[in-house]
Amino acid sequence: MNGFTAALLVWTLISPFHGGRGELWPTHVACRNEDLEVFYQSCDPLQDFGFSIDECSKKLKPKLSIRFGIILREDIHELFLDVQLSSKGSSILNFSYPVCEDDLPKFSFCGRRKGEQVYYAGPVDNAGFEVPEGEHQVLLKLYNENGSTVACANVTVICS
Amino acid sequence: MMASLVICFFGVVLFLAHCEVSASSDQMCIEKEANKTYNCENLGLSEIPDTLPNTTEFLEFSFNFLPTIQNTTFSRLINLTFLDLTRCQINWIHDDTFQSHHELSTLILTGNPLIFMAETALNGPKSLKHLFLIQTGISSLDFIPPHNLENLESLHLGSNHISSINLPKDFPTGNLKVLDFQNNAIHYLSREDMNSLKQATNLSLNFNGNDIRGIESGAFSSKVFQSLNFGGTPDLSVIFSGLQNSTLQSLWLGTFEDIDDQHLSSATLQGLCDMSVESINLQKHHFSDFSSTMFRCFAQLQELDLTATHLEGLPSGIEGMNSLKKLVLNVNKFDQLCQINAANFPSLTHLYIKGNTKKLHLGVGCLEELKNLQKLDLSHSSIEASDCCNLQLKNLPHLQSLNLSYGELIGLQREAFQACPQLELLDLSFTRLHVNAPQSPFQNLHLLQVLNLSHCFLDTSNQRLLAGLPNLRHLNLRGNRFQDGSIPKTNLFQTVGSLEILDLSSCGLLSIDQQAFRSLDKMSHIDLSRNSLTSNSIDALSHLKDAYLNLASNAIGIIPPHLLSILSQQSTINLSHNPLDCTCSNMPFLTWYKENLQKLEDLEETVCANPPSLQGVQLSDVMLSCGITAVGIFFLTVFLLLVSILLILAIKFFIRWKYQHL
Repeated sequence: MNGFTAALLVWTLISPFHGGRGELWPTHVACRNEDLEVFYQSCDPLQDFGFSIDECSKKLKPKLSIRFGIILREDIHELFLDVQLSSKGSSILNFSYPVCEDDLPKFSFCGRRKGEQVYYAGPVDNAGFEVPEGEHQVLLKLYNENGSTVACANVTVICS
Repeated sequence: MMASLVICFFGVVLFLAHCEVSASSDQMCIEKEANKTYNCENLGLSEIPDTLPNTTEFLEFSFNFLPTIQNTTFSRLINLTFLDLTRCQINWIHDDTFQSHHELSTLILTGNPLIFMAETALNGPKSLKHLFLIQTGISSLDFIPPHNLENLESLHLGSNHISSINLPKDFPTGNLKVLDFQNNAIHYLSREDMNSLKQATNLSLNFNGNDIRGIESGAFSSKVFQSLNFGGTPDLSVIFSGLQNSTLQSLWLGTFEDIDDQHLSSATLQGLCDMSVESINLQKHHFSDFSSTMFRCFAQLQELDLTATHLEGLPSGIEGMNSLKKLVLNVNKFDQLCQINAANFPSLTHLYIKGNTKKLHLGVGCLEELKNLQKLDLSHSSIEASDCCNLQLKNLPHLQSLNLSYGELIGLQREAFQACPQLELLDLSFTRLHVNAPQSPFQNLHLLQVLNLSHCFLDTSNQRLLAGLPNLRHLNLRGNRFQDGSIPKTNLFQTVGSLEILDLSSCGLLSIDQQAFRSLDKMSHIDLSRNSLTSNSIDALSHLKDAYLNLASNAIGIIPPHLLSILSQQSTINLSHNPLDCTCSNMPFLTWYKENLQKLEDLEETVCANPPSLQGVQLSDVMLSCGITAVGIFFLTVFLLLVSILLILAIKFFIRWKYQHL
C-alpha cells in the first residue's frame, strides 16, 4: 500500500506535462569553423526552422550566402527583420531592415503565402564586418506588415 | 495506517491536478465575432469542434489535421462564406464535400499534399469566387475539377509543378480576373496555352519566378490584359519578343537580389515599341548602356518605375515622354535633384525619390518644369537644406502632397512654402526642423489639411509656429518636447482653431493648463498617450464633446468626481496602462467606469496598480465596498440601541438618586 502510493507520488511529480508546455526548441549549429561558431534556437513557440551560413569566418564577407528553410505562418507580402545585438547582457545595437516592401520586394520569395514551405538558398544584403572576439547574443525577429511573427531566433556567436 | 492514508490522499490529489493541467492545455477556438468569425488555427483538431455554432461564416482552420475531407466533414456549417484550410495535411477531397455550402465564396487549400480532388468536390457553392491551391503538388491543370467554377474570379496556383498553363477545354474562365502562376516550372508559353484563356477579360497574369525561356510569337496578341508579371525572369529579351503586338495596362519586369540576371540593354528595351503598355516596373535591374536612346520606346508610358536601378542621374534630351504621369526613382544614387532632368517629363503629376542611398541635394528650381506636379515624395533621402523651401521647390503651383520626412535637417524660412500654395498634405516627420522664432513657416497654406511634425525637435514655445493655417484639420506633434513638460495657457494652438485631430503622444508632458486648448473647439480626436499626465489634465478638455480621447500610458491614478462629467461627454476614451487606483478614495471613478464600459477602449489593459492585492486586475472586474455596509449598519444600530438604553437607565438612576436626596 505504502509502496504503491509512493510510486504514484513519484510518477506524478516526474512525468512531464502534456502539450509541449515549457519545452524549448533545440539549439542548432548555423556554422562552425576554427575561429567562429554560430548557434541558433527558434523562439517562435509555434515552430522551429532550418538555417545555415555557407562560409563561416571571423571576417564576415558582404553578401553572405545562406540557406533557410521554414513553413510560413503568415503571408510575406511585406517582411521586416529586427536585429538586437547584445553582449554580456547589455544591448549594443538595435536595427530594423525591410526585406520585402510593397514598393520594393527585394527578394524572389516576397509575396509568398501563409502555409507555404519556403527554401531560400542565396545571398543576404549584409555589409562585411569583422566579428569581435568573445560571445555575443543576437535576437532576430522576422515579422510581416501586421507585426505577426514569421520567425524568431536567439543566435549565439562565439568568436575565438 | 493514518500516515499511509494521508499519503494516499495527497497522491490522488496530485494525480487529479496533473490530469486537469493536461486537459486544460487543449484550447478552444477563438471567437473573433460572435456567431460569425472563428479562428481555430493550430489546435491539432481532426474534426470541426462541436463548440462552433452553425451560423459560422468565416472560419480559419489552418494548421490542423484533416487528411480526408468529405460531405460529412463540414456539413453542419452551412453558412460558411470563407474557409481557410491551409496546411491541414489534406490528401483527399471527396465527392460533394461542400454540397451544402451554397454561400461559400473563398476556399483556401494552400500547403496541402493533395492526392485527388473528386469531380464534384467543388459542387455546392452558388458563387465560388476565390480558390487557393498554392503549393498543393499540382503538376497538371486537369487536377482541378472544372465544375461549378463559372463565377471564379481568382485562381491561385503558385509554388506548384505546373509546366503548361493550358487550361482544360471545359474550364470556365468567363469571370476570371486573376490567375496566379508564380513560382512554377513554366518555361514556355504557346498560343494554344493562351487560347485556353480567351473568354477572360481584363486578366491579370502572374508568372513571377518562372524561368520563362520562350514565348510563341503572337501568344499575347489576341487579348487586352490588365497586368502581366514576369518578375525574376533572367532573360527579358524573351519577354519583349513574345509580347510583340500585345496590349496591356501594366507590365512588371523587376528582378531580385537573389536572381542572377542579365543587364538590360537599349536594344532589348526597343521591344517596348512593338507593344502597347501604360505602366512598367523595372526594379533592381542594371542598364548596360544608359542614355536617352534607351527611352526611345518609353514615349507611350504613363507610369515608369525605376526603383533601385543603380541610377546616378537621368539623361537630358529625352524626347517624347509627354504622357508620363508617375515616375518612381526610389533607392537610387542621385547626388543632386537636378540630375533627374525633370524637363524630360513635362506632364508629371507624381514623383517619388524615396530612400535615395546618398544625401540628396535639393538645388534650386530643379523641378520648375513640372507645372502639373501634384505629389512629391523625397522622404528617407537624408535631405539637408538650411534655408528652405521657396527656391528649392520653385514654381510648383499645383503641388498637393509633399513628403520630406526622415531627412537630416531642414531650416524653414518665414512663409517657407510660398512656392506651393495649394499644399493639402505636408509631412516633415523625423526631420530635424529649424525655425527662427517667432517666424511662421507655414503661413498662407490656405488649403493645408494635414501637417505631420512628429519627432521634428520643434521649438514648441514659438507661438507663431502654426500661424496662417486656416483650414488645418489634422496635426501630428508626436515626440516633440514642451518646455518644463507643460502646455501653458498661451501656446501655439491658439492660431489653429480649425483642428479636429491632434496627436500629442510621447511628448513628455507632465501637465496641461486648463485653458490651453480653449481655441480648439472643433476637436474630435485627441491623442495624449505615452506622457506623464495626471487626471488634472482632463480639465483642459472640458469644452470637448463626443470626442475620441486617448490617455493611455500616462500617470493617472485617481480621477476626482468633478472631472467625470468631462469624461461622460466624450464618445470613446482609452485609459489603459495607467497606474489606476482601486481603493475607496477613487470610488466615484470606479463606479462611473462600470457604468460607462461601452465608452471605453482597451478594457483588458485598463488595470489596477493600487492596492497591491488588486494589482493587475481589470477595472471592470473590481468589486469594492466602501462606506458603511449592511453588517456595519446592523452593528451600529445595536450599538446605538445599547447606548440609548444605558442612557435611559442612567437618567432613571440619577432622578431616583435626586429624589431620594430631596
